Amino acid sequence: MKRDPESGRGPLGYYLATDGGRGPAGPSEPPSGPACFATLEAGLEAAGAWCSALPEPGPSPNSADLVCGPTGPACEARIVRRRKPKYRFYACHQAAGSGGDGTELVPWWSIPCAVEELKQLARDGDIELRSGDRIRLVCRAMFSPSPLEARKRTKEAVAKYVLMAAAAALVVPVVAILGYLTYKAWPVLGPSFVLENPREFMSTGGIWAPLAGTFALVLLSLLVAAPVGVLAGVYLNEYARDNWFTRIVNLAVMNLAGVPSIVHALFGVGAFVLFAHMGRSLLAASCTVAVMTLPVIITSTREALASVPTAFREACWNLGATRWQTIRTIVLPNSISGILTGVILQVSRAAGETAPILFTGAVFFVPIADHGWDSWFPYGLDRPFMALSMHLFTLLTQVRGVSDEIEYGTAVVLIALVLAVNSLSIGIRMVLRARKRW
Amino acid sequence: MVTPHIRFDRVSVCYGAKAALCDISLEIPEKRIFAIIGPANSGKTTLLKCINRTIDFIPSARVTGEVLVGGEDVARSADVYRLRRRIGMVFPLPVGLPLSVYENVAYAPRRAGIHDSRELDPIVEKCLREAMLWDEVKDRLDLLGTRLSGGQQQRLTLARALSHRPEILCLDEFSIAIDPVTTMKIEDILREMKSRMTIVLATNLVQQARRLADRTAFLSDSRLIEVDETEKLFTRPAQRLTERFVNGEFG
Amino acid sequence: MTHADTEFPAKLSKRRSSGLYRLVQAALDAAEPLIEAVIRLCGMSAILFVFAILFFVLVEAAPMLGGKLNLVEFVTSTEWRPTSESHPQYGILALLVGTVSVTGLAMLLAVPLGLGAAVYISEFCPGKPKEALKVVIELLAAIPSVVWGFIGYMVIGPVIIATTGAPVGVNLLNGGIILALMSVPIIVSVGEDALKAVPDSYREAALALGASRWEVVYRVLFPAARNGLLAAVLLGVGRAIGETMAVLMATGHAVEIPHSLVDPIRTLTATIAAELGEVVAGDDHYRVLFVIGLVLFALTFSVNLIADLVVKGIRIEKGS
Repeated sequence: MKRDPESGRGPLGYYLATDGGRGPAGPSEPPSGPACFATLEAGLEAAGAWCSALPEPGPSPNSADLVCGPTGPACEARIVRRRKPKYRFYACHQAAGSGGDGTELVPWWSIPCAVEELKQLARDGDIELRSGDRIRLVCRAMFSPSPLEARKRTKEAVAKYVLMAAAAALVVPVVAILGYLTYKAWPVLGPSFVLENPREFMSTGGIWAPLAGTFALVLLSLLVAAPVGVLAGVYLNEYARDNWFTRIVNLAVMNLAGVPSIVHALFGVGAFVLFAHMGRSLLAASCTVAVMTLPVIITSTREALASVPTAFREACWNLGATRWQTIRTIVLPNSISGILTGVILQVSRAAGETAPILFTGAVFFVPIADHGWDSWFPYGLDRPFMALSMHLFTLLTQVRGVSDEIEYGTAVVLIALVLAVNSLSIGIRMVLRARKRW
Repeated sequence: MVTPHIRFDRVSVCYGAKAALCDISLEIPEKRIFAIIGPANSGKTTLLKCINRTIDFIPSARVTGEVLVGGEDVARSADVYRLRRRIGMVFPLPVGLPLSVYENVAYAPRRAGIHDSRELDPIVEKCLREAMLWDEVKDRLDLLGTRLSGGQQQRLTLARALSHRPEILCLDEFSIAIDPVTTMKIEDILREMKSRMTIVLATNLVQQARRLADRTAFLSDSRLIEVDETEKLFTRPAQRLTERFVNGEFG
Repeated sequence: MTHADTEFPAKLSKRRSSGLYRLVQAALDAAEPLIEAVIRLCGMSAILFVFAILFFVLVEAAPMLGGKLNLVEFVTSTEWRPTSESHPQYGILALLVGTVSVTGLAMLLAVPLGLGAAVYISEFCPGKPKEALKVVIELLAAIPSVVWGFIGYMVIGPVIIATTGAPVGVNLLNGGIILALMSVPIIVSVGEDALKAVPDSYREAALALGASRWEVVYRVLFPAARNGLLAAVLLGVGRAIGETMAVLMATGHAVEIPHSLVDPIRTLTATIAAELGEVVAGDDHYRVLFVIGLVLFALTFSVNLIADLVVKGIRIEKGS
């Protein structure tokens, strides 16, 4: 028996403390009180015997600890489960072949082998235990996760749920807000709200006139922007030679799509309202919105055209087809879905933007007749007009005495309009993508 | 003296600063199989592109010298699209157009103005039979061309190339992406066709040239090294470089 | 109809040889020169419009830039008093700080949220919910900015007043939250594209070496896609800088440098929107607003250009 060099309190013994698993003594109970062994070898034998007596370990490993401590009544206090072991050795029941050095990655391949190796280590003096130190022998099944793997899996699960929370934190509040808006607007929503004109200086009535104005604005601006944009995209992708000028143009077009909408408003005021003498009118506003949507239509058309593989074009050229014939028979039919979705997305953008029309033609109040055509469409190309986005903005910021429901109702109608158009675009894209031809 | 069907007269091609062909002069006789062999990047594809002027679609390409097809300079040809319909081309990678098999083969005739089904049906059937694809697709003519297997798409490309009754058929390494069985089928087709049209075959499979070609030209590093009857080129080549290449020492 | 031994499926060949079809094909082919001329014209006019925007803004701003405006004072002074009768001052420092601070706050919220959502959608989300989530994010991106301003003013404002005891609900914090919600969709979609562009072989190689999915993400995908992810963030920044209506409605109207999160501020964009309606065409105030427009143009154009080049940077690396 050794003497504990530190406390000098008496001889040291080795205590066997076993882990749960399906040991004969049940979870976290040592076989029969802390068994105490005089020598390390004896303790190792007992540990090995205990491990061998167990049925094969399942997903979690079994482990047996040998704790060094002074013998005597105080021994129970020594067996504290959570202490980190000084040495850790691994054994695996089913490890095939020989070799293995007791490490996590290369365990010993049977219990008797583990015990022998440990005894040899002890004899060589490689294992030094002081009072309180412990050796842990871990037995795990083949292909069960090692502690390293178990840690990785936990980290992965944590990461997954954190990221899911990020996605949810984005989606949930917005859906909640939209629901709240609809709830507040509920009393007012209905066909009469949409189809009636505003009355009493916008404090009651519906929103038909601004809605009609928005329709007219969108129609006019897309009438100009869509054909020009699509054909310009065709030109840039199919005809233009790849020189420095074309590259600059492509760069300019793509980056112009990111210019703030208020700068488009400045352009509209400078170019259309003043320079072209259109004044603040539906025409000036439509032109401004057309120029705003043009770069994006060009870019999305180019992307749609570029998604058609060049191999198809080359095959057609080799068959004697001209560029235009190739474009109209192969390239355009196969990129129409991308082009269409790009144009439709701009429809929703044209309907929702406020800044470009604020100073180029949209006003809050236009006299509306009570009956006749003028009550359905009280606008002319050369006169200011009402628009839904502008209507919402002014209602909120400048008009007093308007009931909350009308404000919420206007917002909800605008959102619904924009989301409907976008859903149409997404739907078209899904349907046409399902019919992918290569 | 037989007028060669295709003649290259001191032709050089540069892609920007890089030379692709240097001062090539060769003659390709009519109604035989003419092979062009050489290691990668020796200019074989460029040579073929010069014949039907698809080199025009590469903006950085500069061509000097004359390429004569049937005696007339292709660069001065009045209708380059008619020129391209006199020449059929098969590419290394099989390409099925995203149309039905029928429309794939009918594509070139339609572009030439033939839309009547009474004229198109026989053309489609004949070309598919000649390309040895008819039996496999005759019940599925509305199948999308892109859904065929690689070997079938290559034969479809061949059928397309034949659909405009070309005088010249060019094949650019046609077998590299298809299975050996289809390769053999196409080689049989070529042997049968050489009595009706001039066939120019660019290949890096030296043995394929030996099997098929009547005359062979060896290109290396953008230059024409040697051109001769196939057997003579392979057994008693005049240039040392040729001998090393056909024996597989490089390339 | 045809050979005796062939039965062509009638629908196949008949369908496309009607007289009308032939006529249309012939007409389209004959009109080719005209159509190509129209295409070229559209191409040229588009190029024209693209440069016209810059040109017009420059032309209207030029007289002030010529010397009338003290550029140093313009950029460094916080005194923005354009309507003063005696001594109009045009210092945009407070506005610049407003723009930068609200954009910065928005990015602080939007970047972790956006990149996290992008990684989740790209790597962890199973099939069906993934499509649904992508559709939702796309619809989120479609909400007009005036509606976001409405939400900021009517919904978030009272919440801020209730939780922080601020006197007014429209302030830097409100604007930051709204801008964050507006920028996240673009960060998510561009970020997801960047992650999708990393070849699957990278993921498979890492998994084969024993990495967990999270380790694949932060040890393999982030370095590989870092250019695209950076571009996503930059595009979000560009969007935030250029936003007008939402900040106009949600940040208040104080032309002052903010000292706390709940101070009202004003951005460059909101200034133009608020004042362009009240100026006389051609006078100094009007032209200074165009100068601010130039500043905005330069800011957003360069941010987008850098994002573009950052993305192209990978293509050059990978190609060589």
